[in-house]
Amino acid sequence: MLKVSFYKGVIVKLTCVLLIFWVSSGNATETDSPIRFGLTGVIVTENLRFLDQWGQYLEQKMGRKVEFVLRKSYREVMDLLDSGEIEFAWICGFPYIQEKSRESFQLLTVPIYRGKPRYHSYIIVPENSPYKKFSDLEDRIFAFSDPDSNSGFLYPVALMVENDQRPQAFFRKTFFTFNHAETVQAVSEQFADGGAVDSYIWEYLAVTRPDITEKTRIIKKSPSFGFPPIVSRLGIDANTVTVMKSTLEKMNQDPAGKSLLAQLKLDGFGGFSDSLFNSIRALASKVQNIGSISSRLVTE
Amino acid sequence: MLILSPKSWPLAIKLSLTITTVVATVGLMIGSLMIWNDWTRFYEVLGEKALLLSESVAINTSKAMVRNDYWSLYLNLKNMTSRHTIISAMILDTEGKIQAHLNPAKNPLGLSFSPANETEQDLFQQAMNAREPMVLGSGGFSKTGFQEGIVPIFSDQKYLGVIRVRLSTGQLYEKAQASALVALVSVICFIIFGSVLGAMASRRMVKPLTVVTQGLEAVGRGDMTDFDPIPIKNRDEIGRLSITFNQIMVELAEKKMMEEEAIMSEKLIALGRITAGVAHEVNNPLAGLLNCIDTLRKHPDDKELIDRYLPVIDQGLHRIKDIVHNLLVGLRDDEYGEVEGIDKIDKLHDLIMAEIGNRNIRIVWENNIDEDLLIPVKLEQIVYNLLKNAVEALVDAGTVNFKMYLHGSYLNILVSDDGPGISPTVKNQLFDPFYTTKHNGTGLGLWVVYRLTQILEGIIEVESVQGQGTTFHIGIPVKATKAA
Repeated sequence: MLKVSFYKGVIVKLTCVLLIFWVSSGNATETDSPIRFGLTGVIVTENLRFLDQWGQYLEQKMGRKVEFVLRKSYREVMDLLDSGEIEFAWICGFPYIQEKSRESFQLLTVPIYRGKPRYHSYIIVPENSPYKKFSDLEDRIFAFSDPDSNSGFLYPVALMVENDQRPQAFFRKTFFTFNHAETVQAVSEQFADGGAVDSYIWEYLAVTRPDITEKTRIIKKSPSFGFPPIVSRLGIDANTVTVMKSTLEKMNQDPAGKSLLAQLKLDGFGGFSDSLFNSIRALASKVQNIGSISSRLVTE
Repeated sequence: MLILSPKSWPLAIKLSLTITTVVATVGLMIGSLMIWNDWTRFYEVLGEKALLLSESVAINTSKAMVRNDYWSLYLNLKNMTSRHTIISAMILDTEGKIQAHLNPAKNPLGLSFSPANETEQDLFQQAMNAREPMVLGSGGFSKTGFQEGIVPIFSDQKYLGVIRVRLSTGQLYEKAQASALVALVSVICFIIFGSVLGAMASRRMVKPLTVVTQGLEAVGRGDMTDFDPIPIKNRDEIGRLSITFNQIMVELAEKKMMEEEAIMSEKLIALGRITAGVAHEVNNPLAGLLNCIDTLRKHPDDKELIDRYLPVIDQGLHRIKDIVHNLLVGLRDDEYGEVEGIDKIDKLHDLIMAEIGNRNIRIVWENNIDEDLLIPVKLEQIVYNLLKNAVEALVDAGTVNFKMYLHGSYLNILVSDDGPGISPTVKNQLFDPFYTTKHNGTGLGLWVVYRLTQILEGIIEVESVQGQGTTFHIGIPVKATKAA
């Protein structure tokens, strides 16, 4: 009897230990899952080595792995946010201000570029072209960046609307590059007679790829808009949001972070109010049915 | 002159030139074949590459065309072709409107593609009519030529347009030129190396023949000492020829040595005969003379003795003088000597008639020469000796024929008699000094004829039939005609 009760005790103890291990390992899986961070064409995403370095930096600061998720269009990244595939995203101001967005994400932090959380839209043409103003581009080929881009689509469409031009008829041909850098490329290679790009991207390329930007010329610069913000998906745990926000906003306080910011050509990240994007809201209000315009332009 | 007549070139040069020509021809043929093969392959590969590029562009094209995604079309075209030497690449829709072009500045999106010339128009039409992938080429394999891959685009069996990717043959042409240059240089090296080897081999092969030729030339000159035996290295045809030639040369040298020895011994024999003849012919009258002188010394006042012996002494001394004179003529005199008119020969007729005296000997004299020829004085003595010999052979009666005529550059003289003829045993010694069959002869007459004919570089022949007579034939080269 004594022997039997001894074995019984051992089995019970072993079962308890195994249960504890199982429970703890299950918890570890949840806390160790990587934070997924969606990126769009608002930054130059081609430099994968930089993304690795930034990911490692964030992981080191936050204690969790950070994975960057790249997609071709803004829409795809927005869809990832909606479906809960990603936790954070660097998106454009235009999708941000849309009513629908309030249901799925919130403003986290805004990049500070040349001292301000602001940027512009540039209307560019090939350097050797005769075009001097936007209206010269009538009946020409025009490259938009992304149908969900403020600087690369909303602004030029608003310009046409302001001039009482039907966007579908103003240009002879239009196309979307889904990437500001490629819009610069399309114009520099004269595949397009004009294009609308993010000023931050153009200036970034002017430093990193001057051979491309030198072949383009800016014929119009928009008023300033709120810089494409970083948003967090609604529903993720508050701690992660807070840690991410403070990590990003403190990047300019340590050398590694400064070095990464220097590569991004940004001064840092800062907390700003939603009203920063009012100028984009005002622009969007001028253009009715922007969605149908973009789909018509695509299927024309 | 030697260069202009290849037939007389040395065998070593001809052989090495032949080898060089063969090597060069083979080398050039192989080189050309390699180059041609290379070029054809390059051209075909270029066409295949153009088609492959067009097809790889086509993979992602139909969707983008349906969606009017011009930027994707352009990027697709550009990315697929960025690593190649493209002359042009374009995507055209069913109406020939540009959907994407590698040179967008000159070929803007949405406009109809306009061919630059007739050839381009033709190619454009072929491309627009293409419903299956194909390769079109123009300009051949040159710097400006190209190969174009044409792939029609379909979506759900609906024709959407065409992709044209044109690759320049220029770069490949330069590559092919470089490889042709390498091939050419290799061929030239091959030719030089082959020629040098060929020249060395042919020299080596021909060397024994050269030695044989030099040896034979030396034999031709009669110089057997100017010959080194050919070293025998192989047992092939040339080796065997060399062995045989060496043997022949040794035998020839031995034969010549034997001949020289024979000549020397003959000379010694002749010298002995002359010495014996002189001793005999001079000694005979000398014994008589001494006898006469001794008798006269004993009877100094006997006039009758003096009258009888003095002519004998005189005759004996004259005989000795004649012998010595003839010997001097035969032995010492070896020059052509003075010349005189041919009429001197005719004068011998009278002289010989005086010699004949009243004997019943007839002279038939035939001189067929009309010209005023100059003849050596020695010929006169030759003819006189022959006539005298003929007359002496007849003894008391007979006919002597004399005939003189020109044949070619030779003056020919025939002297014949119808005497008893010469026996074959005698014939061999006919011209030997002191050989005589006559009772009172010195045996020097025909010897002098023979020697003088030799000196005049003439010929002498004897024909004789015993019991019928003898004919001497003399031929003397005519050297000069008498001045007018």
